[in-house]
Amino acid sequence: MIKSLLTGASIFAASVTLAAAHDTEALMQSPPGDPYVQVSDVLPLPAFIPGLGTLFVDPATLPAGPFLAYDHDGQLSATVYMTPLAELENGTSYDGLTVGSHTVATVDIYYNAGHPGVEVPHAHVVLYHDAEAKERLAQ
Amino acid sequence: MITNRRGFIAIGGGALATLSLPLSLAKPLRAQPVEVIEMRGTARGERVWFRPYGLSVAPGTTIRFVNRDAGNGHTATAYHPDNFDRSSRIPDVAEAWDSGFLLPDESFDVTLTAPGVYDYYCLPHEMAAMVGRIVVGQPEDAGWQGPSADTEDVSPEVLAALPPVADILAQGRIGPEGA
Repeated sequence: MIKSLLTGASIFAASVTLAAAHDTEALMQSPPGDPYVQVSDVLPLPAFIPGLGTLFVDPATLPAGPFLAYDHDGQLSATVYMTPLAELENGTSYDGLTVGSHTVATVDIYYNAGHPGVEVPHAHVVLYHDAEAKERLAQ
Repeated sequence: MITNRRGFIAIGGGALATLSLPLSLAKPLRAQPVEVIEMRGTARGERVWFRPYGLSVAPGTTIRFVNRDAGNGHTATAYHPDNFDRSSRIPDVAEAWDSGFLLPDESFDVTLTAPGVYDYYCLPHEMAAMVGRIVVGQPEDAGWQGPSADTEDVSPEVLAALPPVADILAQGRIGPEGA
């Protein structure tokens, strides 16, 4: 019985992993498709933001994101989260956020004073998906 | 008379009055001085600012706001009821201006003619105290109007970021050097 349950759980876990992998695979190349929109199409921001690349976001997930960051060749290079500092101080938590890719090479976290779309002081949490991603997004 | 690259048009109240004069009374058109105020920011957006954020100019000077921040959108927006119902912080006879959002390397011109103190801000960055003050003319000029005394419509951080008029008049321009 126990063996049966474990086997069932393993199959379920494997299915979830495969499903998630399938979902992220669809995001690896720009454009990611619905429900994501290109940030520069809806906000007064450059199409390619130095340091962040070309951003797409599902509007329903604002302000935290994830924002999917693509390089000049349309390759998914980073997943970015934007978390208002005041909201964090007030007890808001941003849990269970999805990722653009399950491969993460490095993570940068830094302060941003605000910009169109997220106009309050906030933190950028940037998950780079390969070792060269930061360089590709720089300019 | 002014335009930016996206077609915004603004004009100072005095210039508008000139345009309404009979042609024989209008002064000959002359090239007016232009002063540039840059919108700047750090690469990751930790800080944003106008450079200079304090500027003294003669009446009739055209102010050109230029976005030099490669990663951000900015505005130059006068504190005025016409702009988002804010309390006025420009001379009563002056017209409000709002550049709208400027993307990198876009610009917006406005000509200021009425003597006095003009305070303005960047719409998405007011919370970061991205504000500036322009002093047009001198306190002894006819019609001069000093700085707004209002302290309710703006934050203490904004008030602290606006340079004193005396400092602007003494130095001509105030802003982070080399930034």
